Amino acid sequence: MSSVCILTPVVVAAWPVFSAAVAAAATSLGYSVVAEGVDRINQSLQGKEVSKHHQIQLEIANSELVTGQLGRDQRLSVTRGGVTVTFSRDARGGAQICVTGTGQTDEALRAFGEELSQRVVQQYVYQRVMDELRAHQFTVVEEEVKADQSIRLKVRRWEN
Amino acid sequence: MAQREFDITIGPSGEVELHIHGYKGKSCLEVVKLFEKVVGQVKSQQRTSEFYEPEEEVRFRIDQRQ
Repeated sequence: MSSVCILTPVVVAAWPVFSAAVAAAATSLGYSVVAEGVDRINQSLQGKEVSKHHQIQLEIANSELVTGQLGRDQRLSVTRGGVTVTFSRDARGGAQICVTGTGQTDEALRAFGEELSQRVVQQYVYQRVMDELRAHQFTVVEEEVKADQSIRLKVRRWEN
Repeated sequence: MAQREFDITIGPSGEVELHIHGYKGKSCLEVVKLFEKVVGQVKSQQRTSEFYEPEEEVRFRIDQRQ
């Protein structure tokens, strides 16, 4: 063994890459993606019934969503058991998360949002790592998801 | 032919633990650089005895993140 190192993830992604990571993470946690039209109706209803809803705002640390389509409203909502989580790009370009739900405490909503946002970052990193390993002709010889949901990969390459 | 091997663990919050095997000397730093470009900032790094063995040349083409 030559070195052991730990890296903190930084998310710098175009919206299509980020939204793919959101969809993959959400599906793995039992959420379903809300169609854009339904999302807009829900937002409108939330505006009228705001007293019944709790809402929490979170952000993904070290994130930057790059976009070539300035001014376009880029957002993606997922839902599970009455809790809706909406991902969007904030004014500074970071990834912003809004968690809403009826009959949930702020702490519960925060926990749902943090669980999902962490899984999104994990999915993003997994895709980035796999793409780079393929680009450098490494072979994944083992892959497993552990009980704590961490993903372990063993990769190998022969060199002259 | 030399066998290069890594163990990569992507934690539930996206933090990456990288165990690099089979690189002698500072050549393993090329791998660390590659992962810095792909994943993010190095939080901690431990060097093992192989790190201090005579060096060999290893280069990766590192593209900018899109």
